[in-house]
Amino acid sequence: MLTRRRFAQLSGMAAGSVLLGAASGAPAAPDITLEIAPYVLEASPKHRIRTVAYNGQVPGPLLRMRQGQEQTIQVHNLTAGPEVVHWHGLFLPSEIDGAMEEGTPMIAPGAAARYTFKPDPPGFRWFHTHTFAGNDLTKAQYSGLHGFLMIEPRDNTGSYDREVFLGLHDWSGHFVGGDDGYMNPVYDVSTINGKMLGSGDPVRVKQGERVLMHVLNSSPTEVHWIALAGHSFHVLALDGNPVPQPQTVQMLRLAPAERVCAIVEMNAPGIWVLGEVRKHVQAAGMGIVIEYAGATGKPVWTQPTDLTWDYHQFATPGETNQSRDEAVPIDLAFDSKFQGHGNEELWRINGKSYPKTDEPILKTGQRYRLVLKNLSADDHPMHLHRHTFEVRQVDGSPEMHGLKKDVVLVPAKSTAEVEFVADNPGRTLFHCHQQDHMDRGFMMVFRYA
Amino acid sequence: MSHSITLVILMIGCLLAGLRDAHGQGNYEIQVYGSDTVPPKNLMVELHSNYTVSGQTNQIDGVYPTNHQEHETLELTQGITDWSEIGFYVFTSEQDGHGVQWVGDHIRPRVRAPESWHLPVGLSLSTEIGYQRAVYSPDTWTWEIRPIIDKTLGRWYFAVNPAFERTWHGPDVKQGVGFSPAAKLSYDFTPKVSGGFEYYGDYGRLFAFDSLHEQQQQLFVVTDLNVSPVWEINFGVGIGPTAGTDHLIVKGILGRRFNWGRKSAVE
Repeated sequence: MLTRRRFAQLSGMAAGSVLLGAASGAPAAPDITLEIAPYVLEASPKHRIRTVAYNGQVPGPLLRMRQGQEQTIQVHNLTAGPEVVHWHGLFLPSEIDGAMEEGTPMIAPGAAARYTFKPDPPGFRWFHTHTFAGNDLTKAQYSGLHGFLMIEPRDNTGSYDREVFLGLHDWSGHFVGGDDGYMNPVYDVSTINGKMLGSGDPVRVKQGERVLMHVLNSSPTEVHWIALAGHSFHVLALDGNPVPQPQTVQMLRLAPAERVCAIVEMNAPGIWVLGEVRKHVQAAGMGIVIEYAGATGKPVWTQPTDLTWDYHQFATPGETNQSRDEAVPIDLAFDSKFQGHGNEELWRINGKSYPKTDEPILKTGQRYRLVLKNLSADDHPMHLHRHTFEVRQVDGSPEMHGLKKDVVLVPAKSTAEVEFVADNPGRTLFHCHQQDHMDRGFMMVFRYA
Repeated sequence: MSHSITLVILMIGCLLAGLRDAHGQGNYEIQVYGSDTVPPKNLMVELHSNYTVSGQTNQIDGVYPTNHQEHETLELTQGITDWSEIGFYVFTSEQDGHGVQWVGDHIRPRVRAPESWHLPVGLSLSTEIGYQRAVYSPDTWTWEIRPIIDKTLGRWYFAVNPAFERTWHGPDVKQGVGFSPAAKLSYDFTPKVSGGFEYYGDYGRLFAFDSLHEQQQQLFVVTDLNVSPVWEINFGVGIGPTAGTDHLIVKGILGRRFNWGRKSAVE
C-alpha cells in the first residue's frame, strides 16, 4: 500500500531537484526569508523542548503583507527531512499552496524554494509545515513550524489601539490509550507564544485601550478554550474573515487551525491571566499574563465553570446563495477503521483512506455544498485549502448565513454543511487538521474539470 | 518528581521485603492485572464468578474439597490518585452440603508508574494482605506482592504478573517466599471483542520449586468484551493438567465503573 509517508518521500524526491534548479538562477532578493532549522524552545526554565522552528523563534516571525501586493518568500530548509510551507487561508495556485498532495514541491534537506504570490484574501492567516509525523510526535505540526500571517486589506478601517498576536500550541506529546479504546496524543506542555504561563513577558496594556487580539490555535490535535479573567472578547472575525454578527463572549473556542480576531476593552485595571479554561491544560502552561500599566500584585484568574461556544451566534439567518444557483451537494461521511487498541484508527472519507480517497471533479464557477457527516466519536476540524467556505449548518442548527471560514469543527456523531464556490482551479486538499488523523488517511483532493 | 521517587522507593522496598507462598486467593479471583489504575473519584465494582467443574474431591487436613465449588468474589477498587488505587475483596463460596459461606477478605493497595515517566511499558506494583478461613485455605493470613508489566502493540496485548506470596499464619509460614506468576496474551479481533490466553502458575517456594506434579499450572482461554469504557466483561475456561491444580474451571468477571465526582467540563 502506498502510505502517505511513502507518497511524501517520492514526491519530495521528484520535486526537490526542480526547486534546486529554480533556485540556482541568482534571482532578486526576496521580500522575506524563512529559515527552517532545529531549535531549542525554552517554554519555561524547566521545560526545554528540542524542535524545529522558522528563523529561530516560536511562533515564527509575524509576516505582514498587503492584499494584492506581490511578495516573494525564500525558504531554506536546514533540516534533515523534506519540508514545505503551507499558506493557510490564502487563495493560491496549487503549485505554491504548500501541500504536496496538491502538487507543491517539497523542499529537500539543504535546499531552498521561492514562493511568489499576490496575497488574498485579507485577514488573519497563518503559515505552517504540511508534512507527515506518524508516531514521531516532535515532527510536522507537533513542531514549532508555525507563524502568524496578516494580510492587510487595501483599506484598513479597524478601530483599535493596538494588536496582540497569540499562538496556542501543545508540546511533548505521547500516545496514551483513551477511554474510547484508542491511542491518542496527550501533551505535557502547553504554551501561548511558545511560553508557559508565568515564563514569558506579560502583555502590557493601558487602561482604556482597545486591544485587537488575533488568536491562533496551532496545536497539532487539541481544541482549546480561552478566557481572559475580568474581561470579555468582542469577536470580529473567525479564520480571518469578518463575521456578520460580531458578538461579545466570555470565552473563545478554537479548534486546531482556527483563528479568532476579537477586541478586548481594557477597562479593568489589574494583572490578569489569559489562559485555557480547562484546568489541566492551564496547569500544563497554557496562559499568559495581561498586565495593566502601574498595576501590581499577582496575576488573577477567574475560573469559568463551563465551556461555551456556538458558531451560530456569529451568523445571520437566511439564504446565502444570492445567485440562486443550485449548490451541488457532495456527501462526505467520516469514520474510522479499527486497527487494534494499541494503534490509532485508520481514518476514512466515504470508506476510503488517503491516498485511495475519491477525487471529486469540480466545475469552475459552480457552488457546492459539502455535507460532512461525522460518524465517528471524535470531533474533526475540517480544512479546505485555497478556498473559503460558508458554514451553513452545524449539528442540527438552523441555516446560517455569512459565516465564512476555512476550518469548521464537525462535532462527533453529527453533520455539518458548508458551501463554497469553485473559483480557484487546481488540486484542492480537504482534510482533518488533526495531525494524527491526516497522517492516518483523513484527507482527500478535489480536482477541477 | 518527589512522588516519583516515593514510588520507586516503595516498589523497591516492597520487593525486598520478606515474602512467601500462601496460595492467597486460590480460585476466587482469577485475573491477570493490567498496569492501569482506577482514576481518582472512581469506584470499580467487580463480581468474579468461578465454578470448579472438576477439582479436588477429598477433604484434606480439614480443608473442603474444591470440586463443584462456586466462588463469588466482590471486588471494590477505589481510585486514589492518578497513579494509585486501593482494592477490597469479599470472598464467598457455595457448595452442596456447605451452603453459601464467607471465605475471607483481602485489601490490595496498588501504585503504578505515572504517564509522565513515559516508560515503554506499563508498570505497576500491587500488594495484597488478607485473611481466609482455615476450612477454605490452611494458610489463613497471607501477603502477596505483584509486579505488573504490560504492553499494547497494535491489536496485541501482553501482561505479566510475576507475583510473590508469603504466609503469615498457617502451615506454610516457615516456607518463605512462593512464586506465582501469571501472564496474558490477547488479540483484538474487533473494537469490542478481544480473545486470548491467560496463564496462572504456582511454583511453590522461591529457589526451591515444587516438582511439576505438585505445582499449580492453569491455562485459560479467555475473551474480553469491550462494550463500554465503564463496563468490564471477561469470560474464560481453564484447564489444570497437574495433580496440584483443579482440572477444569469456568470463570467470569463482570465489572462496572462508577464516577463519584461530578466533573465539570473544565476539570
